Formats: sequence, structure tokens, C-alpha cells
Amino acid sequence: MSRNGMGFWGETWQTARAVAWAMTITLKNLFRKPVTVHYPDVVRPYPDRLRGILALAYNETGEEACIGCRLCEYVCPPQVIKVEMLKGEKRNYAKTFTLELYACEFCELCVQVCPTDAIIMLKTFDLATSDRRELLLDKDRLHALGQQFQPSWATGNKLREMQRPPKAAKAEAAE
Amino acid sequence: MRDVIAAFILLNAVVLIVTYLTYVERKFAARMQSRIGPYRVGRPHGWLQPIADAIKLLIKEDIVPALADRPVYNLAPIVFLIPSLLIFATIPFAPGLGLADLNIGILFFLAVSSLEIVGLFMGGWGSNNKYALLSAMRAVNQIISYEVPFVLTALIPVLLAGSLQLSAIVESQRGLWFVAYPVIGQLAFIAFIIATIASENRVPFDILEAESELVAGFRVEYSGMKFALIQLAEYTHMFGVSCLGALLFLGGWLGPGSAHPVVGAAWFLLKALFIFLLVTWVRWSFVRIRVDQILGLSWKVLLPATLILLMATGFWVAWSGGRVA
Repeated sequence: MSRNGMGFWGETWQTARAVAWAMTITLKNLFRKPVTVHYPDVVRPYPDRLRGILALAYNETGEEACIGCRLCEYVCPPQVIKVEMLKGEKRNYAKTFTLELYACEFCELCVQVCPTDAIIMLKTFDLATSDRRELLLDKDRLHALGQQFQPSWATGNKLREMQRPPKAAKAEAAE
Repeated sequence: MRDVIAAFILLNAVVLIVTYLTYVERKFAARMQSRIGPYRVGRPHGWLQPIADAIKLLIKEDIVPALADRPVYNLAPIVFLIPSLLIFATIPFAPGLGLADLNIGILFFLAVSSLEIVGLFMGGWGSNNKYALLSAMRAVNQIISYEVPFVLTALIPVLLAGSLQLSAIVESQRGLWFVAYPVIGQLAFIAFIIATIASENRVPFDILEAESELVAGFRVEYSGMKFALIQLAEYTHMFGVSCLGALLFLGGWLGPGSAHPVVGAAWFLLKALFIFLLVTWVRWSFVRIRVDQILGLSWKVLLPATLILLMATGFWVAWSGGRVA
């Protein structure tokens, strides 16, 4: 006749208690501070390892850090990076460097392989645009973005340093 | 001429209040879910949001489905809205501040407010959409079921006051509001709130617009201004029933300083807002229940309970004249 053999009054009592409980929960919520962050006005602190949009960096001496080695082009899973090398006297440069941000999957592999810490990720991600061509980034635009936004923690050398196995463990393995 | 002007002012005031009720509900609901609700249109706290919504709906394209029954489809929002606005004709906002204080005010209210179902079914039928039709049929089913307990609970204050006139009902609560009458008052108030929620088709009794099954119910095919009219009608009805609850159980305009019409009207609107927020609170606390559960609650629980309550009230009034202590 009724659930759990509680009978009419048992069921009514249970329903009334459930109703009171549910309404207490919403009432408690009513007097709690909202958790909303007013996003464009108030920005939450981003985590250090944020994988935002990509950019090209300058090295300590103020030169372009990219040597056009094309490692990032080879490693890129969706193949959005295209680099051409320019041979120089002391070192090489990137003649062109294009990055199709609209197809990028933000895997950070290009940052991991970069030998000169040239390609980095930034602590920003909201580059919404109404024209897809604006997301086809060339070398100048990538450098400009690097100047404009704060870089994320990760660079190629830092990542490799972090992932290197400890020396002692290596010695033990060799024995 | 004076009545026409008064009616014009009343209609506009009601529409304005109802427009801002949507804002109040959105804010209230948002706070219950730890959000902040509308915020960016108008400072502070997005107070222009209802106006922005209205303008958006006004300038939207008006789409009529190809196979819709055009006259019925186009008339439905109007037929839906008019009864909702008509119920305000008889509501006294303060002593002497009302359009027509009929001596059968509550009967008029109940009769007109249930006319709304005609517009609703016209909308569901005229859209020529299976979801809309299903929703309209569910609505008829539900509203007919809940009209009975609704009327029976509304009759309890009538019995206690001994009058069908809304202002007389309020005046007879001068000593003690009907909601404070021992046992009968509270039970009748709870039954009234349940029947109110059901007749307004709000969660947990919103099977007619059940988003996950029927998209948006009978208004699925409506867009632009017609949609706005339907929304307006729903909220107006909700506000009207909240006003009725305030009149019947919470003592209408009675309160400190209520001799002045403005203070009285303020008290009355506060009480109506309280009932509206109570219903909203229930709405955001529960999940939707099944069709058979809704009808079972109406016919197996609410109807016998309100009948017994009505009988008890009748005996009490007969023996003690309805006086407390």
C-alpha cells in the first residue's frame, strides 16, 4: 500500500520532514555570499602552469630567441605551426613563424621541446574575435603578444629540468 | 471618466509591478543558488534588465508556424492575458483604493482567474505542435484538478469573515489575521499555498512546461511580443493570486499606520510579495513530480483535507461565531 510499510501517517511525516529539509537548504543558500566572480572586471588569479595562448619571447640580450629549428613544427599534433629558417652568421633565425591558433589544442608540446625558450604560453586566453583570420598569428603578432601579456611559468628548459630524473637514481640504475 | 482613468493607472501599475516581479524572482532564485543574477544592464545590480528584456522581445521577429491555426494562435496570448489583468479589478489595495469592491469579489476573482485556461489551451492547440498540445492538455487536467481545493481553501476565510466581499474579509481580520487562527488558519494557509503553486503551474507542479520533456510547454512556438504577452500573463496571474493570498490570510492592508491609503497599500504589496517569494522559494527547492503524483495529491489528499477543514471551520463558526477566545 505504501512505501516501506510506513502507512499513511508515516509517509506524510516523512514527506513533511523532507520538504522542511529541502527548504532549509535553499534558505541557507539565500543568506550565503554568492560565489560569482565578475569576470571581465575582476580576474581570478591564474595558476602558474596555465596553458593560455602562445607567443614568442626575446632572450636576455633582447634578440629574438627563436632559432628556426622547426622542432615545434615537427612535434605539433594538429600541425598548426609552420616555421622557415633563416641562416645567419652566428646563429639562425626564424624567417617566418605562423601559428594557426584556431586549430591549436594547447597541449604545450611545442613549449616543451623548444631549445631556446622561444615559444611560451601566456596567462591569458580570451582572444575572442569575430574574424577567424585574426587568429592566424604571424611572427610579429606572436612577439607583440609576448610583450603584452604575462608569461606562464613553463618554458622549455624549465620543463626539461623539472622532468629530468634525479642524479642518484640514475647512478643506481647504472650499477 | 474617473473610472476609466483609474483603470488605466491601475493597469499600468500592475504591468510595471509584474515586470519587476520577474526581476525580483531572478535575483531571489540566483541568490538561492549562490549566484548574483542579472547584474550588467543598469547600475546598480542590473535594475534595467526587465526593460531590456521587454525591448528585446518587442523587436524580435514574429514567427508563425506554417501549419498553425492562425486566428487561434494569434488570439491565444490576448485571451490568456485579459483574465489575468481582469482579476485586479476587484482587488482592494487599501481602504477605498480599488477599482470595484464587488460584494461578490472573491467569486469574481475565482471565476475570472480560471478563465485563463482557455487562452492556454488555445495556444497549445493553435501552435499545431505535439509538445504544445500535450502541454495544454496536461494544463487543463491539472488546473481543473487544483481549482477545486483552491476554491475550497479560499472559502475558509469567507466562512470565517461571513462575507464574499474582499474588503469585508480584510476588515474582519482586524483583531487577528486568519493565518494566525489556531490550527485551521495554518492548515488552510498551507493548502492554499500548495493549490496556488499548482494553479500557477510552478515547480514542483510544472508538468505542463516540463523543460526536459516538453521543451517549454504550450508556448513552444511563440516568439517575440506574443511570447512576452504570455510571460506577462503568467506573472500577472501569479501576482494576482499572491494578492488574493495576502487579502485572505495575511490581513490585506492591515498593519501599523494603515489608516493612510499609501501606507495600507504598501503593507498590502509587501504581504503579496511575501507570498510570491514563498512560492518562489518552494519553486527553487524541489524537483518536478510526476503527473500521477500531482493528480493523486490533488484528489486523494488535498481535496478531502480541504473538505474536512471547511467542515471544521463551518462547525466552529456555527458554535462560536468564528471568534477566537
